[in-house]
Amino acid sequence: MDNFQNNDFSVSQQSSSGTLQLEFRGSGSEYFRIWIVNLLLSIITLGIYSAWAKVRRNRYLYSSTHLGGSSFEYHGNAIAILKGRIVAFVFFFGYQLAFKLDPSMILGSSMMLMMVVVMPWLVWKSLQFKLYNSSYRGIRFGFRGTAGQAYSTFLLWPLLTAFTLYLLAPVFHQRLKRFQHNESRFGSTHFSFNAGVGQFYWAYLVGIGIMLAGIIVISVGFGSTVMALFAGGHGGKFDVAAAASFGLFIFVLYMWMFAIYPIFLTLLQNLIWNHTKLGDHQFRNNLQWGRMTFIAITNILGIVCTLGLFIPFAQIRSMRYRVESLQLEVNGSLDDFIAETQEQVNATGEGMADLLDFDLSL
Amino acid sequence: MNKVAAIYFDGKTSRLHHVEFLVQGDIAQVCDASNTLHTAVIRSCPLSDLRVSERTRHAPRKVTFSDGAYLEITDHASFNAILDSTGYQDSAVVQLQQSWTGTLAALAAVIITLTLGYLYGLPAVAKVAAFSTPVSVERKLGDGVLEFLDKHIFQPSKLPTARQAELRERFQRLRPPREGSPKYQLVFRKSAIGPNAFALPSGDIIITDEIIALMKDDDAVMGVLAHELGHLHERHLTRRIIQSSAVGAVATLLFGDVSAVIANIPTLMLDMKYSRDAETEADDYAMQMMDANGIAREHLAAAFEKLEALAPGVSPYISSHPSGSERVMRIRGNN
Repeated sequence: MDNFQNNDFSVSQQSSSGTLQLEFRGSGSEYFRIWIVNLLLSIITLGIYSAWAKVRRNRYLYSSTHLGGSSFEYHGNAIAILKGRIVAFVFFFGYQLAFKLDPSMILGSSMMLMMVVVMPWLVWKSLQFKLYNSSYRGIRFGFRGTAGQAYSTFLLWPLLTAFTLYLLAPVFHQRLKRFQHNESRFGSTHFSFNAGVGQFYWAYLVGIGIMLAGIIVISVGFGSTVMALFAGGHGGKFDVAAAASFGLFIFVLYMWMFAIYPIFLTLLQNLIWNHTKLGDHQFRNNLQWGRMTFIAITNILGIVCTLGLFIPFAQIRSMRYRVESLQLEVNGSLDDFIAETQEQVNATGEGMADLLDFDLSL
Repeated sequence: MNKVAAIYFDGKTSRLHHVEFLVQGDIAQVCDASNTLHTAVIRSCPLSDLRVSERTRHAPRKVTFSDGAYLEITDHASFNAILDSTGYQDSAVVQLQQSWTGTLAALAAVIITLTLGYLYGLPAVAKVAAFSTPVSVERKLGDGVLEFLDKHIFQPSKLPTARQAELRERFQRLRPPREGSPKYQLVFRKSAIGPNAFALPSGDIIITDEIIALMKDDDAVMGVLAHELGHLHERHLTRRIIQSSAVGAVATLLFGDVSAVIANIPTLMLDMKYSRDAETEADDYAMQMMDANGIAREHLAAAFEKLEALAPGVSPYISSHPSGSERVMRIRGNN
């Protein structure tokens, strides 16, 4: 009887309120083996196997991601993904051919217009497919939303952003994240997102400010060197030294632009996840810019030095840091989510969006 | 009997249950792990109803029931013992992934496949595909290009009409090195880009006043025009499109997730080799055409020497053309 009570208490303890840390337990060496076998089979089958490769990769990454003692699961069906990719391939090949063969550009332009009109629907379906094929503790995620919302988010706001010379970019981003996070479900429980437009403007302005400050510092620092060299007038050596200095200046600017991306990523990811809830459970994100930049730069160095073989290790390093910067403040218990019945989601959108490399993670 | 600790989810709620999983004969059983007084079977089913996730070193194994409920098992050793006792076999792909010998073999196979594909496979496929494409299709690729160039880069040629006709007629009289030479139009232009000649997919061969003045030798001009005709006859433009697309696709597959900039650099460098190969092939065509018409190859070599003097070459790995000196040596060496 005492044993029974202790066990029961233990179970209860494990699922009570508190902060839970997401954990990522994948390893670079194991993922490398999955990656290289996937790559070999994809190449040998001229791309057909890539659908199965995607399934195995996602299964590994999901199963390596843990929260509160259990891991996530990917349920994507390779045949469905392959069909989506075939549709995408046929469409794009037709599109390219139409543009090259039709002197009047009517056919190509028509296909481009069709693509623009269909794209919001495809992205919406892609979100549905991805979430339906993701589960945790046996409960599937889902994505609600309506066609109207999809067109507003992925067509109307991008157009408004373009027409205002990107001054509305933060609004577009906020609308996109609001749609994406508010319409996501876990079983019958909904996520919610409450970051406002002002907060996105602030994040963008801080990021741009930091970028410009760096450019100014670099320009001033190198500007004086270049000016001194020109003023010195060293004849033959003068040109070589000045050219080398200018080259270094361009290189440093280039590296700064590389470092800026992690800054933006850090600002935006923290903003987005710190304003996202699942039911009553609040997410917390704590990405650090320094760590993000270090990982990004060393990953690129590793990839360049190994002619690409470091790619799977780089992906694991990035994913581990991003996943393990995310926490969930549990309010109540994780045991109380209920599944919701849902029809199988077609993979056409997934295949199309996949080929477009449409990434909504930022 | 073999059994392993696991957590169980019924697929209806997210409640976590601690259980034990065991197999007796061909029946799988899930037992409540919290009750040690007697075995309480939560569910049982034939082994054939279960689906087992792939073996990995770190990720938990999952055993899924037909109704969506599943077990999550982190004790790999105990679970592997159960699998062995049931005769379960990993798929060939999993066995390849789990063995370093298999992984290194896969790595070697990838490198060999990509290298052979890049050096021999893709050029051969591109050539067959290009020659299978009707010339009319290739012509359409070039529609509008000459109009664009005329609007932004070219001016009317200042070469006297009689001189143009003389060169045009002389080149038309030359016999191509083999049958099937495509129709072309010889187009004369004056240009700010200086001495140059090139072929467009539309079948236009454009030659600038500046290169004719530079050559001071009609035989050299014939050599240059033969080179450009070689690009058309060998279908280089269509082949280059196919090769570029394929290299770009593979580079995206390999590097696409990492960084667009990183992906572009190797694509560009790899593509430049195909460009240099096409130039070499066109040089060969020009040599054969000059041989067929009794024109000494020396004129073509002299043409490249003059062009090289104007613009010394850059690093061979990032140039779309072989170096001028290399081409000259090749032409003279083949005499």
